[in-house]
Amino acid sequence: MSRKPEVEDRMRNAATGNTGRIVEEVAGCGIKLVASLPDTWISDLIEAFDRDERFIHVAVNREESAIGLCSGAFFGGTGALALMGASGFMTCVYALTKINYTYQIPLLIFITLRGGLGDRAKYHVSNGLYLLPLMESISMPYVIVDSPEKVSLISKAYEQSRVLCRPVVVGFARQVLQQ
Amino acid sequence: MQLRECFEYLASRRTNQLVITSAGNCSEMWWEVTHDRENVFYLEASMSLTSMFGAGLALGVPKLPLWVFTGDGAFCMNPGMLMVERQLKLSNMTHFLVSNRCYGSTYEVPLPNAAANDYAGMARAMGVERVLFFDSLDGFKRDFDVAVLAPGHKFVVLEVERVGKKLKEPPMEGPEMKYLFGRSIEKASGIKIFDE
Repeated sequence: MSRKPEVEDRMRNAATGNTGRIVEEVAGCGIKLVASLPDTWISDLIEAFDRDERFIHVAVNREESAIGLCSGAFFGGTGALALMGASGFMTCVYALTKINYTYQIPLLIFITLRGGLGDRAKYHVSNGLYLLPLMESISMPYVIVDSPEKVSLISKAYEQSRVLCRPVVVGFARQVLQQ
Repeated sequence: MQLRECFEYLASRRTNQLVITSAGNCSEMWWEVTHDRENVFYLEASMSLTSMFGAGLALGVPKLPLWVFTGDGAFCMNPGMLMVERQLKLSNMTHFLVSNRCYGSTYEVPLPNAAANDYAGMARAMGVERVLFFDSLDGFKRDFDVAVLAPGHKFVVLEVERVGKKLKEPPMEGPEMKYLFGRSIEKASGIKIFDE
């Protein structure tokens, strides 16, 4: 028996593996808006959000624009996720501290843990050295997802962001994103 | 065109529009003219992100019209904002670029390439379909209904003179503004923003 075309489309578009688990966890939070800038580690994830009709995926011109867009979405009652690489996140200190800290606006942010163990890209060495200390220096709450079992931390991070009225970062290790 | 007379006219024509203003002259003059505490978000700390902030809001409240004001100092920091706006095609958002060719929040220090910057041309080059330019109040008044009140995303360049003095900042603190603005949106739109 053949399936209806729309069911087949949905199945074809459904992300699998860890990417699928992450997408489902985000959807379970009630998040509708995903603003992204790419990193090679998250290209599959970005594509999965883009294909999934439960989300409005917006490709932005720079990471700070994702912070602005998602912060405004809060006032539209829209759950939002800013998705970016570690380098992009490093450029967002001003936007995060001035907008989200000043006005106490919650926000969930996904970043890649570039420069960590196993990342052979020399241009990410600075992220390995400074990313976590930078987050700690601005008192940015974060959780590390370095195994598939920890994907469930996403919803806890989202909830914590709402309680704290400030951003919470979820940092993904390579093995979770590129299974 | 003088910024004050331009904003006074805008305020006189405003009905139910939510307003977001960028740092410096935009926030300070809008506050001075309106003293509106509830339906305005004075995004004093943003450096170029007012229109992205507005776009995020506009997505969630498609039936509420939104006016976003960006100073040209902020615009120069992030003109790519228009690419995102164009992509989103937000029919309820009008983006005003207040061009005074200087950094109004820092004692009017000149912008780079100030005299030659063609903001309307930049917007057109990024595919924004409805781009309008006004450098006189008479022209702005004449075309206001089409330029501002007609539905559809619009980018409106307002060429104004420098204010020439430091204005007072809106007196609200960040969290106060968040709740005043958010409650106002909840009331106007029926959506829920804050957790119980």
